[in-house]
Amino acid sequence: MSSLSATIQDVFNEPGCGKNANKSEAERKKGCTKQLQPGGAAGGCAFDGAKIALQPLTDVAHLVHGPIACEGNSWDNRGAKSSGSNLWRTGFTTDINETDVVFGGEKRLYKSIKEIIEKYDPPAVFVYQTCVPAMIGDDIDAVCKAAREKFGKPVIPVNSPGFVGPKNLGNKLAGEALLQHVIGTEEPDYTTPYDLNIIGEYNLSGELWQVKPLLDEIGIRVLSCISGDGKYREVAYSHRAKAAMMVCSKAMINVARKMEERYGIPFFEGSFYGIEDTSDSLREIARLLIERGAPSDLMDRTEAVIAREEARAWAAIAKFKPRFEGKKVLLITGGVKSWSVVAALQEAGLELVGTSVKKSTKEDKERIKELMGQDAHMIEDMTPREMYKMLKDARADIMLSGGRSQFIALKASMPWLDINQERHHAYMGYVGMVKLVEEIDKALYNPVWAQVRKPAPWEDPSTNWQSKAIAAAEAEAAALAADPVKAEEVRRAKKICNCKSVELGVIEDAILANGLTTVEGVREHTNASGGCGACAIRIDEILELMAPVAPPIAAE
Amino acid sequence: MPQNADNVLDHFDLFRGPEYQQMLANKKKMFENPRDPAEVERVREWAKTPEYREKNFAREALTVNPAKACQPLGAVFAAVGFEGTIPFVHGSQGCVAYYRSHLSRHFKEPSSCVSSSMTEDAAVFGGLNNMIDGLANTYNMYKPKMIAVSTTCMAEVIGDDLNAFIKTSKEKGSVPAEYDVPFAHTPAFVGSHVTGYDNALKGIIEHFWDGKAGTAPKLERQVNETINFIGGFDGYTVGNIREIKRIFGLMGVEATILADNSEVFDTPTDGEFRMYDGGTTLAETEKALNAKATISMQEYCTEKTLPLIKEHGQETVAFNHPIGVTATDKFLLEISRITGKPIPLALEKERGRLVDAIADSSAHIHGKKFAIYGDPDLCLGLAGFLLELGAEPTHVLATNGGKAWAEKVQKLFDSSPFGKNCHVYPGKDLWHMRSLLFTEPVDFLIGNTYGKYLERDTGTPLIRIGFPIFDRHHHHRYPVWGYQGGLNTLVWILDRIFESIDANTNVPAKSDYSFDIIR
Repeated sequence: MSSLSATIQDVFNEPGCGKNANKSEAERKKGCTKQLQPGGAAGGCAFDGAKIALQPLTDVAHLVHGPIACEGNSWDNRGAKSSGSNLWRTGFTTDINETDVVFGGEKRLYKSIKEIIEKYDPPAVFVYQTCVPAMIGDDIDAVCKAAREKFGKPVIPVNSPGFVGPKNLGNKLAGEALLQHVIGTEEPDYTTPYDLNIIGEYNLSGELWQVKPLLDEIGIRVLSCISGDGKYREVAYSHRAKAAMMVCSKAMINVARKMEERYGIPFFEGSFYGIEDTSDSLREIARLLIERGAPSDLMDRTEAVIAREEARAWAAIAKFKPRFEGKKVLLITGGVKSWSVVAALQEAGLELVGTSVKKSTKEDKERIKELMGQDAHMIEDMTPREMYKMLKDARADIMLSGGRSQFIALKASMPWLDINQERHHAYMGYVGMVKLVEEIDKALYNPVWAQVRKPAPWEDPSTNWQSKAIAAAEAEAAALAADPVKAEEVRRAKKICNCKSVELGVIEDAILANGLTTVEGVREHTNASGGCGACAIRIDEILELMAPVAPPIAAE
Repeated sequence: MPQNADNVLDHFDLFRGPEYQQMLANKKKMFENPRDPAEVERVREWAKTPEYREKNFAREALTVNPAKACQPLGAVFAAVGFEGTIPFVHGSQGCVAYYRSHLSRHFKEPSSCVSSSMTEDAAVFGGLNNMIDGLANTYNMYKPKMIAVSTTCMAEVIGDDLNAFIKTSKEKGSVPAEYDVPFAHTPAFVGSHVTGYDNALKGIIEHFWDGKAGTAPKLERQVNETINFIGGFDGYTVGNIREIKRIFGLMGVEATILADNSEVFDTPTDGEFRMYDGGTTLAETEKALNAKATISMQEYCTEKTLPLIKEHGQETVAFNHPIGVTATDKFLLEISRITGKPIPLALEKERGRLVDAIADSSAHIHGKKFAIYGDPDLCLGLAGFLLELGAEPTHVLATNGGKAWAEKVQKLFDSSPFGKNCHVYPGKDLWHMRSLLFTEPVDFLIGNTYGKYLERDTGTPLIRIGFPIFDRHHHHRYPVWGYQGGLNTLVWILDRIFESIDANTNVPAKSDYSFDIIR
């Protein structure tokens, strides 16, 4: 077993991950990487994941070892912000060619490192492995080691070639590189009882800077942020922090947990999105630091800042209430954000008519129900046609989502606001939430949306594609209503597991016939969730739903 | 020596050399009665205050930095839109040199135009002889198919009667008796270039339709299915008229473009000099009488022409330089209504693309404040488009806009929530605009090349849309009409917005943390 596959195996076996902890031994071994579906249009690769996780380290030269494709398409493409060096924005790549592929690219890599050190003298060089050199067997660990010895500078190999898996895995492998080569290699000039690490925050659109002044005011020192607006040295001495906050993302959980394990730095998972979440996170930070020996008046200062900032933010948001009267929002985004912004939107007087739960965990869903009521409209997957229908029935005035759904929303004549990483405004912290509400106001009242929804004036609205699509959908629904047999067929034909192509009916039949009560049981009998495992949550729900009617006990 | 023959410096660099700097400093000190720099600074700052603005707006007699040109310029612009036509300006030749350079500098094309070269004796005894000789020389030297006569102030002040002069000239044999010499009185002390366009076009139409100044029978109108189209005085005439022809082609509309100068202001470089190129033929101009309707893209450029056409029994429709989705919708619907031709799918797709582009970029324009100045119709078109984008046309100013225009702009403001805090300024100049930009700052300024001084003084980024544009090349080749034109206008506005974001974030190690690749 090569060291890369060992690292990957190790990353998969992450005790800090709730999802992983719930798995059986066999499942755990298989890893948590989602098997990408051939023919699908999934997101980035492990290289990309590693790069975006480390790229916000600002004073480091990020050198991509590979053909032009990897760095050429990706340099400086993220809105992370730096308060100091802008070296991270310079695109360094070995740009290997055919000869390198035949004879190996290690020499070129070594020379590239040399040139970077001679010309830029950065505190460290991060070298990223990519598919082609990995396949031809370039040993970047060895090259980095040789360079490190020769030039007396940290040269960090980031071993995360694209083919090993998806972006999320790359995030974790990047974390491993930090744990292995960076963290704990230097010492801070001094330490305080108020030293905090923030892990998994990238300072996109300068978001961190909306929270950092509050921490400064309370008297908490951000010893190291991994990796937003980070500097190499800060990461190198981050092991001296007293506590850590892992910012709402499972991407770097391995870093947080292993730092706890190795250096005894306790961490919690928190979020600065949403007003109450921000307050909760600030309190939790203070609590952990006090636990680690900080004077207890830290909490008083924290509460004072929270009280003041909350009052300010709620007052600013309340102003929008009359303008948002009766406006309805559809929230389509990943995981945690679905519920963390809900409270602020509700406070501004917006009515949430639905939220996507595609990437949410079971706990996320529970939170949503808590906030939005039992009949919250949770959307697994929404087609443009359904979106348009929601809009048409005046069930939504605006959609908040990531950039990927943007164009669908626009084509479906739906006003839209970006709340994921490609946005241009910072929504973190108290001021961020006010900014979000301001942006929603703009999006709601931009005249182009009225224009978007209106057909061309010479067009007969009864014959345009939208009304045709809706008519077709209604006709379908009517046909099903009139034909219960057919309706049942359609219901049962709903695909639950996409990887293994298993339909609801098959799963239900298996549960009934075999009295199944666990996801594992269902997988054994139907193969459902035997692929990426993302549908396990859906299967769980089916099991719950069927539990009362299932035979009490059956031999398995 | 600062200058040497091996490496000749141009004025950018030359005068920065120490010798020149010293010389300029001495000149200032010894001959220019220099003031205390602090006092100069104080006055400069004072000129930015509301107090100064009040005095500025109380100005009664003086115009400072006018945003308009004179009637004959518009007359020349209209005249070259007819086949083989040379504009003949009866008056002093200096004026004519202005029109030619003005048009050449904007369109980057030669601009042919002659003058009767009146001098002092002509001013005393009348310009008849200049007209007689001038027409004869023009006819013989330049072989035009038509000579369109307009006037400068000089001829107007002494009251030269064009109709009589042309008649006499023909009698004296300057040009053949049946030769077409339409005319228009275009004194610069009345109206502006848009008025001149109107008068010249009206003169030409009247000439052909109403018996050529008594030398031929009046034409009988025999209605057909065609329509006439008038673009008005328009810096984008090259791109716009071509775009309109394309749109009419897509719809299958048969139209006569009156005063079609889209060719003469964009001749190819292929070894042949074209003094005349393209243009509405004289036969087409005559037949235009039979059209079912006449469309004017600029109401304030055709205030006299349209009523004349209406008197001849045609339906007339006027727009205000339509830009954007709604304005283009209205335009196409009218064309469709009049001609009975449906709007084809191709145009509907273009419409959808423009809406798409606006939606994609809406966040960057939304709520931004703009100041606009220009010709009355262009101001209306641009203000309408900005409202459609969710921007605020905070100051809309036209030196050649009147009370009726101001009311129309106000009505436009009232039609949108984004027009709530917007104001219209008829008859004001660019020095008024300067005060407005200082006391009620906006995010962007839209105007012609002269706006660059306002941009420099007030720091308001300038988006160059209008006439004349001297310091940027070739924008006149792109349409601003039609959905494609709306897209061009949108892109110009967006480009400036992004440039200004970049300019505000590009200081190394200071603001470049926001100097982003993706906007």
